[in-house]
Amino acid sequence: MRRALVAITGLAASTTALVVLKAAPGTSQVAQDVPAGQPPAATGAAEDEETSPDATAAPATGKPKATKSARPQGSASATPSRTASGGATRTPSAPRTTTAAPQPTARTVTGPVVSNEFGNVQVQITVSGSRIVNAVALELPEKTAQSVQRSGEVDSRYSGTGGMVVARQGADLDTVSGATATSRSYQQSLQAAIDRARG
Amino acid sequence: MTYPGTYSERRPGHPQPRAGARPPAPPPLPVAPRRGPGVRRTLTTLFLTGLVASVLPWWLDTPAGSLTGTTAMTTAAGQITGLLAGYLLLVQVLMMSRLPVLERAVGGERIARWHRDLGATLLVAVLAHTALILVGYAGLEGRSPLGQAGVMLREYQDMVSAFAAAGLLVLVGLTSVRTIRRALPYELWHATHLAGYAVLLLGFAHQFSNGSQLFRPGPVRTGWIAGYLLVIAALAWGRLIAPLVFNLRHRLRVADVVAESPDTVSIYLTGRRLDRLEMLGGQFFRWRFLARGCWWQSHPFSVSAAANGRWLRLTVKMVGAYTRDLRDLDPGVRVWAVGPSGTFTAAHRTRERALLIAGGSGITPLRAMLEELPPGAALIYRARTPVDVLLHRELDWLAQARGVRVWYVVGSRRDPGPRQVMTPDGLRRLVPDLTRRDVYLCGPPGLVEQCRQLLRHSGVPRRQIHLATFEL
Ligand SMILES: Cc1cc2nc3c(=O)[nH]c(=O)nc-3n(C[C@H](O)[C@H](O)[C@H](O)COP(=O)(O)OP(=O)(O)OC[C@H]3O[C@@H](n4cnc5c(N)ncnc54)[C@H](O)[C@@H]3O)c2cc1C
Repeated sequence: MRRALVAITGLAASTTALVVLKAAPGTSQVAQDVPAGQPPAATGAAEDEETSPDATAAPATGKPKATKSARPQGSASATPSRTASGGATRTPSAPRTTTAAPQPTARTVTGPVVSNEFGNVQVQITVSGSRIVNAVALELPEKTAQSVQRSGEVDSRYSGTGGMVVARQGADLDTVSGATATSRSYQQSLQAAIDRARG
Repeated sequence: MTYPGTYSERRPGHPQPRAGARPPAPPPLPVAPRRGPGVRRTLTTLFLTGLVASVLPWWLDTPAGSLTGTTAMTTAAGQITGLLAGYLLLVQVLMMSRLPVLERAVGGERIARWHRDLGATLLVAVLAHTALILVGYAGLEGRSPLGQAGVMLREYQDMVSAFAAAGLLVLVGLTSVRTIRRALPYELWHATHLAGYAVLLLGFAHQFSNGSQLFRPGPVRTGWIAGYLLVIAALAWGRLIAPLVFNLRHRLRVADVVAESPDTVSIYLTGRRLDRLEMLGGQFFRWRFLARGCWWQSHPFSVSAAANGRWLRLTVKMVGAYTRDLRDLDPGVRVWAVGPSGTFTAAHRTRERALLIAGGSGITPLRAMLEELPPGAALIYRARTPVDVLLHRELDWLAQARGVRVWYVVGSRRDPGPRQVMTPDGLRRLVPDLTRRDVYLCGPPGLVEQCRQLLRHSGVPRRQIHLATFEL
């Protein structure tokens, strides 16, 4: 029994120690860590203005959704870009945009990174004339399996040429149940992108 | 040396063996070669390495300084305790796998103690994991912890079975609290405890569907699954294959049942290839007698004679319904044995000479061990009444053959004789070089504990004290 008490105390102490060690401020590495993990497209979004879609030669960013370091916790405070960014960017190598390329007026507009407690959300839309023809989530919360599952639901409902965004031509979307926060963030980023495209 | 209320029996004409005297018998006496604690240390190191490895993924995955705010910290603590609980659960099952290397290097009784202590830790870890994750996620999603539990049960994958696993674990843990366990019949407790396997099964999926470190395919996930496969393989080996091989090779049967005292019988077993049976005096097997009414239970009994190539013997005191039934076993009944197990043997000595202290039926493993200890051992045998002294003819014979000094200390605990012996001075008077001996204690838990404290007071180092309490 004495050994059990020692073991239980050890469990509590080591768990606390681990958490405290990771919470220790001052390791400035973190501050760089989170923005570094953001997709390049997102950083570009702040500066670049609208570009013609045939500028596809730009470094392919792939699907930045897969960024591993998207962290739900702490990122809210660690991400200063919460409201800062917003604007259009070069076309990422998404195949859908390439099909849209023949239309000279098609352009992609990227919304800002919106953080919630689970991670970051960033939406990019393709606008042809005044019509939204596609919506792509560049980033969605993927920290836990649960987030992945919910992000997947949000993504499949909203994004794509046949998604709810294209169908409704706006940011007034039904909230995906069980994924309220991600739905809201998606809508915010989307709304900003739409404003940007129209503005 | 005679105490009031004590009878000290020696065969007439038996030369007084002095400590350190050369044994008179001409043929060299068989002595068990030593087995050090090396394997045990390796296993302990492996366990600790695994413990570190189980939280390492979390450590590497979490950037320093990223845990800001209580919600994030609570969730992180929930993840750590979850990983630890997952690991401890595997170790708990592994310890019960009857893997021969564990049974022989650590020993059934010590494994049982570790299992109990680790079990308490596991219970706390699982409760902490559940509570911390609930509070953490509730904070993230802005709900009450109870509301969060509802949401997780309804919307998260595999959480119904995970909650069931936690509930079962609490049940298993509570029924193992000493006072509760004592109040339950052994079979009921044992059946409840088998729910541990269900815990393993039900808790499996949620780690991979919801675990932050495990849901992504990769080395961590693969390693975690490998841990499960390893434990299942150990179970199959220790519980199925190894016993099958052993019993097919030896095909044990009851040869005879002999009364030793009004409430004790010796069961003699024969079988095939017993000369190839690797077992040490002091070890025990889990026996299953394949007779009507007995076959569905398996009980641990020590062998009460060292391996001799011809027969095995166990000496059983009738304490309950099962042991009373064993008296009526017929010759020829098949016996299924799992073992041998235990480190309570001459091979695990740390010194050249030993002192053995037996209480009542606790003499059985010591009797077998005496055949394998180096000469010069001493035996103190506590028994309540003269009829409770078992196997005393054999003991006297061994005393002569192997230069063992034997004292029978008979009487109740309050009688002057036993009271006088069971003091540091009393012990030292009988065995002056007490602190330079290994001491093997076997008997009722009360006596064993009393003696253990007595020996520590007398200055016997902890590592020289070997205990067997007949408790698993
Ligand atoms: C390592 C070891 C070696 C033992 N060696 C001997 C021996 O050489 N001679 C001897 O007489 N006794 C020995 N025992 C004790 C023996 O196992 C019990 O006395 C016996 O199992 C009691 O069974 P019962 O149903 O008749 O009695 P119950 O009255 O039903 O049980 C008495 C107590 O025995 C224990 N017990 C019961 N069933 C089991 C079981 N299936 N497995 C484990 N423990 C059980 C429980 O703690 C219980 O409280 C040994 C025990 C252990 C653990």
